[in-house]
Amino acid sequence: MEEKGATAAAAASGEPAGGEAAAMKVVVAVDASEESLHALAWALDNVIVRRGGGVSLVVVHAQPGAYHFVYPVAAHGIAIAYAPAAAIESMRKAQEENSRKVVSRALDICKQREASANATGAVVEGDAKEAICQAVEDMNADLLVLGSRGLGKIKRAFLGSVSDYLVHHASCPVLVVKPSKAHDK
Amino acid sequence: MAEEAGTAAAAGESGRMTMVVALDESEHSYYALQWTLRHFFSADGQQQQYRLAVVNAKPTAASAVGLAGPGITRGAADVLPFVEADLKKSSMRVIDKARELCAQVSDAVFEVVEGDARNVLCEAVERHHAEMLVVGSHGYGAIKRAVLGSVSDYCSHHAHCTVMIVKKPKPKH
Repeated sequence: MEEKGATAAAAASGEPAGGEAAAMKVVVAVDASEESLHALAWALDNVIVRRGGGVSLVVVHAQPGAYHFVYPVAAHGIAIAYAPAAAIESMRKAQEENSRKVVSRALDICKQREASANATGAVVEGDAKEAICQAVEDMNADLLVLGSRGLGKIKRAFLGSVSDYLVHHASCPVLVVKPSKAHDK
Repeated sequence: MAEEAGTAAAAGESGRMTMVVALDESEHSYYALQWTLRHFFSADGQQQQYRLAVVNAKPTAASAVGLAGPGITRGAADVLPFVEADLKKSSMRVIDKARELCAQVSDAVFEVVEGDARNVLCEAVERHHAEMLVVGSHGYGAIKRAVLGSVSDYCSHHAHCTVMIVKKPKPKH
């Protein structure tokens, strides 16, 4: 899987101090959905703030590769899969912009909770499931945090579930945060 | 909206967060307990932040022996008390070992609940008003999961709280 270099959208460098015994590297996967930002907020409140430091946080956004959006173009009855270079370029730029927005929104949430000292953002490219799995391995994460849309069994089978895939394949423990209920307990 | 929901779900600044850890006799669940202790209960000051509830689900003797069919033979029924005693012993072993591991945790409860692991764990989460459930995972492939059933899969879909699934890392070649 190709991986874009870690793009720090804001905040200080997140190079983890490898020596501390209690240090923990937490990777939070975000996309534009509310559930993943809720997952980030939950993780910040319950894991990071409570541990009182010694945690480095990486917010990861998986950007689908531009080649997904190449459509066959029928010209004079002949179907050709062709996308002009300029179109690809502008699609790519739009996606990067999108990714940057998502990551910076996530880092804003970190800042709100004063956890931004150790938070970085990263964007990885490719299919979300595999790209995040690869990123977790490369970063030697201790914990991966995901949101979950709370899909039922059938929808999961058809729509595919990133959280399901990552729970089975990630190389580290996975924390799945459910969407908060409308009524509070 | 996501942020406010997040703070509402947290137990509050001064309250402790309850964590239920599922335990059975397998290496995987001990590893999950140890991982949790190492990362959430290790430093001295941090212990006060979390409350720990260790839950062991003890299968009923009847389910363990598989006496679901009609016409239970007398021989099979005689086995039940022995199976029951053995299951009780194994649950005690699990809890004792858990007590040892959690010696430094200030606020920990240990329970053995009878029933199917899936239901026991989800119900324990409700009972303790836990914010998090920790389960180990055998790391079965898709086929084994379909045939043997997976407690961690069930819990991650049905528990009403955040679920953390801890796998024993595979040794890299």
